[in-house]
Amino acid sequence: MQGYSNGGGGGEGGPADLAKLQSIMQSIEIACSSIQMHVNPAAAEATILALCQSPQPYKACQFILALDVSSIAPYDCGAFQVIAFILFLSNLAENSQVTNARFQAAAAIRDAAMREWAFLTADDRRGLISFCLCFVMQHACSPEGYVQAKVSSVAAQLIKRGWLDLSASEKEAFFNQVNQAIYCNHGVDVQFIGINFLESLVHVSEFSPTTSSAMGLPREFHEQCRMSLELDYLKTFYCWARDAAISVTKVIIESDAAVSEVKVCTAALRLLLQILNWDFRYNTSGTKMSINVFSAGVRQDSASAKRTECILVQPGPAWRDVLISSGHVEWVLNLYAALREKFSCKGYWLDCPIAVSARKLIVQFCSLTGTIFSSDNGQMQEYHLLQLLSGILPWVDPPDVVAKAIESGKSESEMLDGCRALLSIATVTTPFIFDQLLKSISVDHLFVITLLLQVFAMMFRPFGTLTLLSTLMCEVIKNLMLNSSEEGTWSWDARDILLDTWTTLLVSIDSKEGNALLPSEVLNATASLFALIVECELKVASMSAMDDDFNYVQASISAMDERLSSYALIARAAIDATVPLLMRLFTERFARLHQGRGMIDPTETLEELYSLLLITGHVLADEGEGETPLVPNAIQTCFLDTLEADKHPVVILSGSIIKFAEQCLDPEMRLSVFSPRLMEAIVWFLARWSQTYLMPFEEIRDGYSNFGHDYEHQLQSLHSRKALLSFFGEHNQGKLVLDIIVRVAITTLVSYPGEKDLQELTCNQLLHALVQGKNICLHLVALDSWRELANAFANGKTLFLLNSTNQRSLAQTLVLSAYGMRNAEASNQYVRDLTNHIMTYLVELSNKNNLKNVAQQPDVILSVSCLLERLRGAANATEPRTQKALYELGFSVMNPILLLLEVYKHESAVVYLLLKFIVDWVDGQISYLEAQETAVVVDFCMRLLQLYASHNIGKVLMTLSSSLLNEAKTEKYKDLRALLQLLSSLCSKDLVDFSSDSIEAQGTNISQVVFFGLHIVTPLISLDLLKYPKLCHDYFALLSHMLEVYPETVAQLNTEALAHVLGTLDFGLHHQDSEVVDMCLRALKALASFHYKEMSASKVGLGPLAAGLKDSNGNPQEGILSQFLRSLLQLLLFEDYSPDLVSTAADALFPLILCEQGLYQRLGNELIERQVNPTLRSRLTNALQSLTNSNQLSSTLDRVNYQRFRKNLNNFLIEVRGFLRTM
Amino acid sequence: MIMYCELSQVVEVSTSKTGKHGHAKCHFVGIDIFNGKKLEDIVPSSHNCDVPHVNRTDYQLIDISEDGFVSLLTENGNTKDDLRLPTDDSLLSQIKEGFESGKDLVVSVMSAMGEEQICALKDIGPKN
Repeated sequence: MQGYSNGGGGGEGGPADLAKLQSIMQSIEIACSSIQMHVNPAAAEATILALCQSPQPYKACQFILALDVSSIAPYDCGAFQVIAFILFLSNLAENSQVTNARFQAAAAIRDAAMREWAFLTADDRRGLISFCLCFVMQHACSPEGYVQAKVSSVAAQLIKRGWLDLSASEKEAFFNQVNQAIYCNHGVDVQFIGINFLESLVHVSEFSPTTSSAMGLPREFHEQCRMSLELDYLKTFYCWARDAAISVTKVIIESDAAVSEVKVCTAALRLLLQILNWDFRYNTSGTKMSINVFSAGVRQDSASAKRTECILVQPGPAWRDVLISSGHVEWVLNLYAALREKFSCKGYWLDCPIAVSARKLIVQFCSLTGTIFSSDNGQMQEYHLLQLLSGILPWVDPPDVVAKAIESGKSESEMLDGCRALLSIATVTTPFIFDQLLKSISVDHLFVITLLLQVFAMMFRPFGTLTLLSTLMCEVIKNLMLNSSEEGTWSWDARDILLDTWTTLLVSIDSKEGNALLPSEVLNATASLFALIVECELKVASMSAMDDDFNYVQASISAMDERLSSYALIARAAIDATVPLLMRLFTERFARLHQGRGMIDPTETLEELYSLLLITGHVLADEGEGETPLVPNAIQTCFLDTLEADKHPVVILSGSIIKFAEQCLDPEMRLSVFSPRLMEAIVWFLARWSQTYLMPFEEIRDGYSNFGHDYEHQLQSLHSRKALLSFFGEHNQGKLVLDIIVRVAITTLVSYPGEKDLQELTCNQLLHALVQGKNICLHLVALDSWRELANAFANGKTLFLLNSTNQRSLAQTLVLSAYGMRNAEASNQYVRDLTNHIMTYLVELSNKNNLKNVAQQPDVILSVSCLLERLRGAANATEPRTQKALYELGFSVMNPILLLLEVYKHESAVVYLLLKFIVDWVDGQISYLEAQETAVVVDFCMRLLQLYASHNIGKVLMTLSSSLLNEAKTEKYKDLRALLQLLSSLCSKDLVDFSSDSIEAQGTNISQVVFFGLHIVTPLISLDLLKYPKLCHDYFALLSHMLEVYPETVAQLNTEALAHVLGTLDFGLHHQDSEVVDMCLRALKALASFHYKEMSASKVGLGPLAAGLKDSNGNPQEGILSQFLRSLLQLLLFEDYSPDLVSTAADALFPLILCEQGLYQRLGNELIERQVNPTLRSRLTNALQSLTNSNQLSSTLDRVNYQRFRKNLNNFLIEVRGFLRTM
Repeated sequence: MIMYCELSQVVEVSTSKTGKHGHAKCHFVGIDIFNGKKLEDIVPSSHNCDVPHVNRTDYQLIDISEDGFVSLLTENGNTKDDLRLPTDDSLLSQIKEGFESGKDLVVSVMSAMGEEQICALKDIGPKN
């Protein structure tokens, strides 16, 4: 073998060489220690960076690494070894100093090798890898863990880099080295290191694309490595780790104190776990297609967001022999059982690493699923789970004993892992199987023979797994009640995990067949569980009622929402019992409020009611999320024996809550009982409830035959469903209830001044939900109470006190309800009546002579702001039916708007409202407008833009306070963003147009208009403002859209406008956000390909722009395309960018090269000239050659050619970027 | 709004309650528009508060005198000479530099409750 030096003096070890190496080493050492001591860190970093970037630093690095290695001899080579050996003794003293240097050296090897990999010889590559591997093995006992880890990860990365080049036998050789370490008797430490190395290969996941380190290679490379590893090696690694663990098991089990083998075993268990965590992709085919309920046990519960994650493990059938049939699971269970016995011994405890790893592995086994189980009707999986469950059972059973032990100081981790295991099992099975697992009495003879004694005893338990789950959960809830004050106790975690388990089990039941399948004992258990949950929640509520600080953050609210929906699933599983329970609880509290009025402080009861309302809302109805939610299945299919509507438990419960809510209309009651917070819950409940139950659209379909065993049963269920649905329908109590709801809403808006949250709920949820239902709208507009609301809105003063977003939302709601009118004419008239007051006020105000003075009065400013918000809300509600009235409205305020913009130029808040109204209005209207109207609107928008620009160009704010200055800047940003949105919606006229004639008829050219608008707006957008990501994004989106769709307009722009557009494009190319760069590249592609196509058709294309102009001094200037070709090449070859951009960049580069072939040749030659090293020079020449010539690339711009060029560019960059960047 | 007899621009409003079922109060944080000081106040949400009448007027800058006063051109052609330059150095230099380089400058003057101050500066460019 030879040394690693490729350049320089070779491996002969001349004294000069030695001195050079030593001096490098010294400088690095000094740099490292000065970084540690914070002495001149910049210079030190530069030294280290220089080492990383210098060409071929391997020799120096290995030198540093090997300094104190005397025994590297068997693995290392010739001259190098001699140097190392000589230096060893003299440098031993410096040991403490060089640790860091060795770390840096390893990093340097990694960087340099990645960069120069392509032109290392095969021997060099192998040498590097084996050097790293040997280094690690040799230093197995060394205390400097981080150097070990670094070198071992470097080895992993190098192996991966060369993965596709190395032959199978070469890889085999490396892995043999590792295998030797794991198996042979080099001692425990070596074993440990070997396992750790495999872990850094698998777990730190060099091979899994999401976590691998960047190598500047295409994604495809990572994919290939991943596939190869998964198919060829993963199982082998697994077996090695397993065998290593098994080999030490005996020692561990037999010893009474901690032994060093434990370390190996822990590492091996961890590796096993990591391998099972692998995202298996290949060889699992058939999983998704299979109909077998057990092997296809993966349920895509996208509906339920999980709090605890549960990863499904799905290796293919190839793993069956290792995982299932070899007794592997049994071994792990036995190991853990043996460990459990030892927890009293010294060196072992419940949370010692080996126990934790073993438990994690067991939990991971629980989530094993897919084709690994043969399709024998699930018996194999059932047996597998039964075996696991038997091992897990002692962790959680009996629940009360376990809970007590934890309370008295036992660690809770085992119990939590038990819960996690239950969750995993629940995820891979159906609820029925899950329940049967524990009581499977119909034992297969196979079971009897093989099962452990413990399982045997367990099988004759009288109850199923679900019952166990309920009792376990009950214990947890009881504990929560005791410790409700403090968060983060074990019972919180346990509750969350168990709730997830319930959710997983019950979601499928709830959406499919109802709970008819669950045995009655389970129903009883869930019913009592729910009762306990409610009790707990109520207790928490009444205890926290007096707390002052309850500033919930958003996260905790959504967590609570999730928890409540899990509760609801449990409640629905035993709906027979839970609805009457809720009814009873409500009645008790209502009575308590009435009895104690004026005498007892009601706060605790109010808080309890608050919780009850939230829980009941979740139980009775689902979240709509924009859709119309149906009555939950469990409720539909239950209560079959109640045929009279007014005796239906759900009807009674809803009715009594509504009746209670109605009492808030009485001022006296309102004062004493209905606190703002209680009203929030009531409004929320009403909103949620009415979406499902109020005047449901659904007719009872005949032949709904999915359930019911005989005709009579079916008929009965129909009757009961009908009774429930029609009770609050339009022909029954519906109108009455609707009236009550509207009156409650008015009360919250009028009688709770300043309660922002409450009013927001009312506007955004309750009223909004009402107008969503078209059939509700029909009745709404006929109601007196609704007219009252509309009247208060149009003519009253009180609603001006609402905060601005609520004004907007209210206006939107009212305009939307116009849908309920008989025909379009009536709807338009309704909208006119609603909005007339706005128009009148604004027109009158703008006609005043002393407008300038009047407008500055605070109350006028307030009114104007409110009215603008209302206008915006109305504009948001534009629908085809009311479009006409809203157009007229906007048209009539056009002039006032411009006047107000002038008057309020210093009131940035008002200006923003003005702009936002126009944006929303244009956005709603633009696609309906006829040519004439479009011309008017476009003209108006341009005047608005010009006016705004004239106020703001060159303005400097003078204020002492930096926070006011920042605020002003933010406001400017919001304004500009609105203006860009305005231009974007104008753009859309060309894409979506419902008008009868073409807009060209009026001579309006949208592209010119938008470019003109951009021309006005762009000077306002400073580079400083482009730091706002949203603004930047919007701006470039608009720009690239314009350039892509209308490249021809660019040619017609004047020089100043053009310079600005191109300047920003160049700025965008070097932006950090890859999405922005992407948009700029697309724009470039559009420009260049437009020019090229036009030129080939012998037209002018971009004309003089592309040809180059003469600047003011008469010097010829480069054409724009040449400039961009230059800067794009510069970017691609020498700068940092995300690899994802390469294909878009290729799309832009290709037409640019075609347009500017001469320049491209020149640039290419320049690059070659600059290269001194002859090998590199010839590589570069070849690469440039094949960039444009390989892959049958031709000079037409079609799909195929673009694709070919993308491939070429990719190869080109891989080939040359490495050495170009280091020069 | 007016806080402790000072003029301030409200930059933050938060509401708080006395106990869970109590009524809301508003917590205002304001910044004095003339001297940039920070002020805070708490009022029940149903109360009214005073809002000052703030006027902003644009004048063209004619001259800067030695003693720190500016000379401004009003809309009707008269001059207004009773306004001081801002005391802060950076603001001062912005005005002075702009003026000395011969730009046509328009200043916005904010007036409220008997106080006046220059609050913005705008370059309207050479007149053609």
